[in-house]
Amino acid sequence: MTKIVTKHFDEPKLHELETYRRLGGYQGLAKALTMDRAAVVAEVEKSNLRGLGGAGFPTAAKWKTLPGEDKIPGPRYVVVNADESEPGCFKDRVLMARAPHQLIEGLLIAAHAIGAKETFLFVRGEYQNQYDILEQALAEADAAGYTKHASIKLMRGAGAYISGLDTALLETMEGKKAWPRQPPPFPTVAGLMGKPTVVNNVETLSMLPFIVREGGEAFAKIGSAKNGGTVVFSISGHVEKPGVYEVPMGTALRDVLALAGGVRGGKKLKCVIPGGTSMPPLLEKDLDLKLDFDAIRAAGTFLGAGGMIVLDETVDTVAVAHNIQRFLTHESCGQCTPCREGSYWNEEILERMLDEKGTAEDLANLTRVGENITGKVICALGDTVGVVTRAYMSKFPDDFKKRVPSNG
Amino acid sequence: MAKLVKFKLNGCEVEAEEGRLVIDAAKDEGVEIPHYCYHPALGNPGNCRMCIVEVAGAPKPLVACRTGVREGMDVKSDSELAKRAQSSALELHLVNHPLDCPVCDQSGECGLQDYYMKIGQYQSSVREDKQHKDKRIVAGPHVMLDQERCILCTRCTRFVDDVTKTHELGIFHRGHSERIELTPGKVLDNAYSGNVVDICPVGALTDRDFRYKVRVWYLDQTDSVCPGCARGCSISVHTNTKRPWHNDGKRVARLKPRYNPDVNGYWMCDEGRYGFGSLDKDRLGRVLRLKPAKQDVSWETAAAEIAAALGEGDVAFVASGMLSNADWAAAKVLFAGAKFYFTPEPDQVGGEDAILRKREKVPNLKAAENLGLKSGSFDELAHDLESGRVRALYVVERDLGKIWGEDRARGLMDKAKFSVFQGPNKFTVSEWADYRLPATAYVEESGEFTNFEGKISAYQKALDPIGEARPDHEIFHLVAAALKGVPA
Amino acid sequence: MSVFTPEQEKTLVGWTTRYPYSNMGLVEALRSVQEWKRCVTPEAASRVADIFQLPFNRVWSVATFFPTFTTKPTGRHRVGLCHGLSCWMAGSDKMEKCLEETFGTKPFETTSDGKFSWEPMECLGACEQGPALLVNERLQGQATNDKIAALKELK
Repeated sequence: MTKIVTKHFDEPKLHELETYRRLGGYQGLAKALTMDRAAVVAEVEKSNLRGLGGAGFPTAAKWKTLPGEDKIPGPRYVVVNADESEPGCFKDRVLMARAPHQLIEGLLIAAHAIGAKETFLFVRGEYQNQYDILEQALAEADAAGYTKHASIKLMRGAGAYISGLDTALLETMEGKKAWPRQPPPFPTVAGLMGKPTVVNNVETLSMLPFIVREGGEAFAKIGSAKNGGTVVFSISGHVEKPGVYEVPMGTALRDVLALAGGVRGGKKLKCVIPGGTSMPPLLEKDLDLKLDFDAIRAAGTFLGAGGMIVLDETVDTVAVAHNIQRFLTHESCGQCTPCREGSYWNEEILERMLDEKGTAEDLANLTRVGENITGKVICALGDTVGVVTRAYMSKFPDDFKKRVPSNG
Repeated sequence: MAKLVKFKLNGCEVEAEEGRLVIDAAKDEGVEIPHYCYHPALGNPGNCRMCIVEVAGAPKPLVACRTGVREGMDVKSDSELAKRAQSSALELHLVNHPLDCPVCDQSGECGLQDYYMKIGQYQSSVREDKQHKDKRIVAGPHVMLDQERCILCTRCTRFVDDVTKTHELGIFHRGHSERIELTPGKVLDNAYSGNVVDICPVGALTDRDFRYKVRVWYLDQTDSVCPGCARGCSISVHTNTKRPWHNDGKRVARLKPRYNPDVNGYWMCDEGRYGFGSLDKDRLGRVLRLKPAKQDVSWETAAAEIAAALGEGDVAFVASGMLSNADWAAAKVLFAGAKFYFTPEPDQVGGEDAILRKREKVPNLKAAENLGLKSGSFDELAHDLESGRVRALYVVERDLGKIWGEDRARGLMDKAKFSVFQGPNKFTVSEWADYRLPATAYVEESGEFTNFEGKISAYQKALDPIGEARPDHEIFHLVAAALKGVPA
Repeated sequence: MSVFTPEQEKTLVGWTTRYPYSNMGLVEALRSVQEWKRCVTPEAASRVADIFQLPFNRVWSVATFFPTFTTKPTGRHRVGLCHGLSCWMAGSDKMEKCLEETFGTKPFETTSDGKFSWEPMECLGACEQGPALLVNERLQGQATNDKIAALKELK
């Protein structure tokens, strides 16, 4: 299968500049710097590259919402969102550890494309090993003169999941608690310190060297319609070979699972979380689904950041929902009431159900409260609070009914 | 002015300035959209999610506090979807609220109660234990904090961050552990601390002065003006007369700021707010001739005798900016030939700041200035008294003891052949005058003050006068009439 | 006595100049404080606020928001155990008991010698090697009873 960002993962010293350069590294940047900024954006537009941090928003379209220097003069920034913390996702960790220069090159290309002289790489605090590797790679890139047209500064988070949401990330970077902003204005208009800012994910930026080097059309051809190139899945849970797997956009779920060796121990599949625990699960009947942003969405869930968790038949989905709900309650930033109170309430109900103290009314409440939260909160975390439990309830009603005493 | 646009609100075609927040535009039309976090002077963080409305064409319901009016917009705050969203936001606010309404001072003016009656009225489904937090935190000299009642709307923290910039409160911790707390090592003791009680939509921040004194529904409210300084903030006087056995028998229960965009916006200072304590202290209610012996006299007798004394000239008129516009006008006529002493120095000046507080701690010096009245200094007055140039001294609501010290004040007063004290409260000096006349306090009369910027604000009578007390200008008219020999 | 050594003060001031706006260094500065003192106390946060010329309530709101910062000292060795979905499916709840028994402490408690504390953590981004541990900010995969027992040997 065609690989782009993990293509050279067999090279043991890929993280070193020498190896990366030998394999064609920084040629994309060299080419980009000879191109007009608009031409780089046009190439990315042709590539159908979508934001791989979870939202799937077309990257070039996001860049194009940045006002020109004539409209908003002064600095503009690129921020790398390397605050990967969605349960099930670890591909950014691997991409940073194995191919830090690929990310740096992509970042410098993006900086050129939008005219940023300063960029920031925000790494989640728990990725200290990856931070060290990036720091080393950055020193090499600086010494080699790659960062002459745009500087890169590293920054670490402090353990809050919500910091991974773009506007909360900007708040964190500005030395505030990570309370999401409510656009408009969007970060591309008023982002970091109120300046136009592009926030892109590690994997998204890592795709750019290929796109510039080989051309946007070559990238687009690899993927499916409107979903260019490849996507890296982080696969964990009940599979034989957990790990990261890069596949072209539009690869069938069945084939992706096969790469990871299928369900462990010959057990039957219960469900697959496609993009991280915030995403509703897919079922056995969905195995032929072609995995790209649009197809997954049509199936009622999200590609997210490709954090695929495979659950076998032994799993109790009430406990799964409780685990996810507990996570969301812990990570709710507390800014808006429905998420702050609703996540707590949902968790308490599920906990009671696990303690065999559930009632029929609890099921009705989980549904009703969930509906009342989603779409009425500030950010995507809050939406998730209302969605996830309901998704498990609707797909595995028997698991939930078992937790509630029958009237008979 | 921005362009006017037409839009639909709950099916009715209405007009508003383009971009005006839906929540404000609706209020203009008499439609109140429920809200806690939004406050016109403190911004629209949109965190309470109470003001959700349905906007045709929008992919999801929107918060009215962050949505601007556009031409042709179709907004519904009363659709099934909007009502369910508002009601459920209220339900979620109450998941951890203690519901201790019977012992809560906010009861009767609480946003949670009000909206429950208006948009709630659901059966509670919460079976979980409520989270416990601190319920009795002395936040500062005037304010108590109950964290359990707090709904984390952030109004109070925005107030101390954005208005006073004193940062005594903060929202600390995260998610369901989040709470409003005093910033470690700080006390909520800024000059405007009482305002957080007003803006708190629930009973989390209550007034220590008012706490447990009287239920709010027993209070009457009267529009008034704070006499505490030259700003003249619009206020509301809350009085307790129906149940005198409450509120420790005091007639005035509390003062609240009243919105006035031209003068004070939404706020008032603590000095003004809590300065009413002496209002009913040592009130004068009788018209008295004090010399040679204390004797009750009628207003007419007193006026005639005082007029006779004033008629001989060499009069010094001592007053302060406590006089109303009408009082000043009457004083100007009555004391046409007299020397005036009303400068706020030295006893009626104090701290000022860039928010509201003014240096002159009386409300109405501007009216005297507008009438062309000039004040001599109290040093000059002392000198004139000393040298026997003042034959008659007429003091209105000013404590000369505070200016000169009591012994010196007494000595100087005795230099005048004749003296009158007029005012609502007894001072030591008031007992040394020849006549002591009871005047109404500002809450017992209607009138107007002219603030330092020349803005005229009216205050209304909130309480009945004590005894025979009359407004200052009425007393001046009485004496003036006696002086002219015509009945007032 | 100052909360910080002159050397530490220098580091903190360094964070105010590292990024184009001084406040952008705040989270990193608080990370330094946590590292030095194993907690962020109000006194320390207040000094940081002074150095950054920010209101103290702003700094304290940040210090109490992020799980990396603690108000009471963690152990010299801070151990996190991931209880995210994948790690939970890989048996993190059993490892939780193992940590409790090994250190003899409840989550977020520090051993009496100040050496160890452990706490459950949300997804550490090592889902393919669950149950994951975070030992002094370094990820370790596939926690086992033996691996946890070996932590006791840390100096």
